Amino acid sequence: MKMSFVCPGCSCLCDDIEIVDGKILHACRRGEEIFGKYKENRAKPMVKGKEVDVDSAIEEATEALKDSENIAIYGMDTTTVEAQQHGIELAEKLNAYIDDNSSFCLGEFVEAILRKELPTTTLEDVRDRAYVMVYWGANPFHSLSRHMSRYSYYPRGAKRPRGYEEDRFLVVVDVRRSETSKLAKKNAMFIQVSDDDELVDSFFKVVDGKAAKYAKEAGIILNGMKKSDLNVIFGGLGLKYGLKDLGKFVEMVKKLNEVAPVYFIPAGFHGNMRGFNETLFEKVGYVNKYSFRDGKSGGEFAFTELLKNEKIDTALIVGTDPVYSLPFEVSSKLGKIKTIVVDPRMSFTARIADVVIPSAVSGVEAGGTMVRSDGVRVKLEPLEEREVNDVYILNKIKEGL
Amino acid sequence: MALNPMDIYKLLPKTNCKKCGEATCMSFAFKLLNRERRLEECIPLYEDKKYERQRKKLEEMLKPLEEATETGLIVDESLCTGCGNCVVVCPVHVEKDPKGAAVGKGITIDDPILRVEDGAVKVINMQACRRYGKNRVLCVVCRENCPTDAIRFLEG
Repeated sequence: MKMSFVCPGCSCLCDDIEIVDGKILHACRRGEEIFGKYKENRAKPMVKGKEVDVDSAIEEATEALKDSENIAIYGMDTTTVEAQQHGIELAEKLNAYIDDNSSFCLGEFVEAILRKELPTTTLEDVRDRAYVMVYWGANPFHSLSRHMSRYSYYPRGAKRPRGYEEDRFLVVVDVRRSETSKLAKKNAMFIQVSDDDELVDSFFKVVDGKAAKYAKEAGIILNGMKKSDLNVIFGGLGLKYGLKDLGKFVEMVKKLNEVAPVYFIPAGFHGNMRGFNETLFEKVGYVNKYSFRDGKSGGEFAFTELLKNEKIDTALIVGTDPVYSLPFEVSSKLGKIKTIVVDPRMSFTARIADVVIPSAVSGVEAGGTMVRSDGVRVKLEPLEEREVNDVYILNKIKEGL
Repeated sequence: MALNPMDIYKLLPKTNCKKCGEATCMSFAFKLLNRERRLEECIPLYEDKKYERQRKKLEEMLKPLEEATETGLIVDESLCTGCGNCVVVCPVHVEKDPKGAAVGKGITIDDPILRVEDGAVKVINMQACRRYGKNRVLCVVCRENCPTDAIRFLEG
């Protein structure tokens, strides 16, 4: 029997990856890099630039955390839910700040969904039933390569047997002619906006039968939505940064639901970012940038703000690379504080860190659960088991305190 | 760049000498593009010195014909991101693999036309394509739904 693996590369969590005769089948380029090259550029256990064994690196990290007063735990978007639970418990024990990439990614949308402000559905339902699908400020060609072919526009669903040829209507909203917008040909529409709020406004007015800037486009979309029992908006980072007020967008989705069923699914982030949001939400009622000392969440507790304002003296970074991804003025502050990195790879952050603890690649060397962008939990089976994984490391640090 | 029979014709001798067996140079140009004839069959082009420049241009022009598969499909793997749109939209795949490619999953049949391998699409079994053989249909759905233009056809 053929074995299928789950690719942890992005929040699509494709579960049909096969490895036959050394060839990686069905995975996109990102998935291929993960399964094919996971042995390259591996991190080594290090303390202040000197190579040590794993246990002494963990011990050193534990000592550093014991001695610190203001600690931030950051990352964990690429690891499993089980490791995230350990990370959150560790933050609670240390009275630390905890944050992940979602504070500048799509955390707001996930929070609105978890608070039941935005109606949501699963990608399987989208495949089987959706007619109108709007990619708003998202370019899945880059962020989620297989999103359109696997879950949304191209596949044929139970109630949409004719697929993209007749049974779908694709809408792409973007500020530029993206690769995805080039696919909007037949039964499709591309709206080039200069301001996302204007389009939100147009939807409000068209539902009420008033004139608006994008009245023609919104009218066509609305008529399409009325034909189906399921329509979906995929919101990406372009939507998050284009909107001045998320509340107005939430109101718009509510207003659209008065005339047709419209659901929202965030599109485009790390493999298990939603898992982190959900795990923290279950525990404390907030999705990110949480301070266990203050018992609340707030913009000032975002990792970037904490660094900028020099509020922390130690950072525990799990499975992310702030030196690579954050602006220099923010990431350069990492040099002033103690940095502990738990990462399978020798990332840029690992190169400047005080303590480096090598871990396992989740989904390839460690099993567990991850949460897809629509909230479905997916079980990951490892290709090969590695004893020292994120769960082991975080648990050991927690016990050592 | 798309190949066009008119561009080929312009560089042929245009004498309608019939040495190749075709009635006109124009019909020879069409058959060259369909790969039913080879450029070497045009005897004056190779024997007469005055056509040398034209011959070199034609040889350059027809190079992609050799790279392409029997159906005129050219895949540029360096542009492909492995999104799998082409695999899912292919009508032959949908018919043969209703539980796999038709619903968006990785293709499960053993001899698909296209399959994503190691992060890029590869041609596995060209014979199954609707463009193959005598009774072909000029289907271009895989090219139409490629976001990076990694898939091309000879005719454009």
